[in-house]
Amino acid sequence: MENAKDTFYVMLRNRLATLNPGRTMLLRGVQRPGILVEEAEAVVAMLPADVFVLRWSGLKSNVSLPLVLAQIECEIHYTTGGSQTASGLDRGRALEEMDAELMNILSPPFTPKMNYAVNPVVQLNTPIFWSAPEFSSAESVRDRLLRTATVTICAYQEPGEL
Amino acid sequence: MTTAAVSYTTPTPPLTRRVRAYFAPVNRLTGQPTLFDPSAVGSFALDTPPAPWSDLGWIADFARKSDSTISTLNAGSPALPQLQMREVVGATVSLRFLAWKKLSMALSAGSEHMNLLTPLSTGTANGSGSSAAPATSVLSGSTASLIVVAAASLGSFHAGQMIAVDMDYSGQTGYVGSGVSAAYVRSAGAVSSSVDYIRRVTFNVALVASVGNGAITLAQPLPAGIPTAGMKVQTIQGFVDREGGSFFQEWSALFVMPGEQGERMLYHYPRLQSMAGAAESAMPFLEPMEWISLQARFRALPVVDGNDGQQVLCFRSFLPSPMTLL
Repeated sequence: MENAKDTFYVMLRNRLATLNPGRTMLLRGVQRPGILVEEAEAVVAMLPADVFVLRWSGLKSNVSLPLVLAQIECEIHYTTGGSQTASGLDRGRALEEMDAELMNILSPPFTPKMNYAVNPVVQLNTPIFWSAPEFSSAESVRDRLLRTATVTICAYQEPGEL
Repeated sequence: MTTAAVSYTTPTPPLTRRVRAYFAPVNRLTGQPTLFDPSAVGSFALDTPPAPWSDLGWIADFARKSDSTISTLNAGSPALPQLQMREVVGATVSLRFLAWKKLSMALSAGSEHMNLLTPLSTGTANGSGSSAAPATSVLSGSTASLIVVAAASLGSFHAGQMIAVDMDYSGQTGYVGSGVSAAYVRSAGAVSSSVDYIRRVTFNVALVASVGNGAITLAQPLPAGIPTAGMKVQTIQGFVDREGGSFFQEWSALFVMPGEQGERMLYHYPRLQSMAGAAESAMPFLEPMEWISLQARFRALPVVDGNDGQQVLCFRSFLPSPMTLL
């Protein structure tokens, strides 16, 4: 599933950079689009604000098909405290803006699967595709609002693929 | 001389997860099916079936039904059963193909199954495809996986295309198609004497892997093997079948249930004819996605068992798990 996970992240990152170039973060000294994969970064006590954080969770496979179909759950966590200029009173609007951005970058719900582990990058034969997002209720924690969207990413495991 | 002592197990109820389907052509002209011999090749590796069987993968909702009826002759007063007789012998099979491909679509639709030949830009619109762009001659030196064409024609092909390879239609009647009887032509007029008709229905199709060095390399061998003299190649866009038509697909079939203890159950129908039109079924997957599988129903036709001359419809074989008492 590594190719599918990499592809999903890079696809969301690129779509986000196009949709909202202003949503950026400074990560390990580099300014980049405001989306990261939790397991690929240092462990932190609290989720960064105004950034989409991808957390990979459940995994299932269907072996009854000509190619094994793997399904992996991706929890997309995001939190915001609103803007400093509005003293956080716009945190509801800021969360809705992130909701809309996420729905936007998850569409269309498919993209060609790439192998980013090789140079140059190789496009594989099958695409990845994913379910409609399921959004949790907004949760208030101190001065922040949090939400999680869960998406199931599906990918056929091609011969020789990890 | 002595042999090592072995231990035995008593038979356990067979436990299986799924059923795999294989189909092979019936020579419609001679009425000769492809016979599967479980005594010789019953233990074949499921991914590499013996020739000429085509692997159609795991299937769903496999169900066999016997339509045979047995009557009793009663005699005396009061009447008592004296003997039994088989009045009707019949059997049907139904299943769902999970993957859509040329053969599974044809088996599901049951009638003529057509290739969507790449059309002429000037063709008149038609439901099963309009007049095709001209075919390219296949040259000598071709193999089942390599199609040699004239250098000037090579530019018309590229990797990822699908192709059909077969003869020109030249007015013949009867079964047509290389390797597989793909359709029955009643008269040249019925097919408008179309030179491309055989390539429109042929099962001799494959995917192009690459083009170069004066030839088209295929990603899979042509089902009919090495192209014969006079064959031509045309690109295709996909497949089409219809509700209706006068042709019945007839194939030999083999269904395998691998058991968890190493046993194997095999169901061989030498002659299966489609008995239903094209239909699909939808199974929920992830909201809002659904699996669309191909429904298929078949009626078994008889063959003569060479061992005793009996007319039979199907053979059920069982290969027990190792070291199991019989």
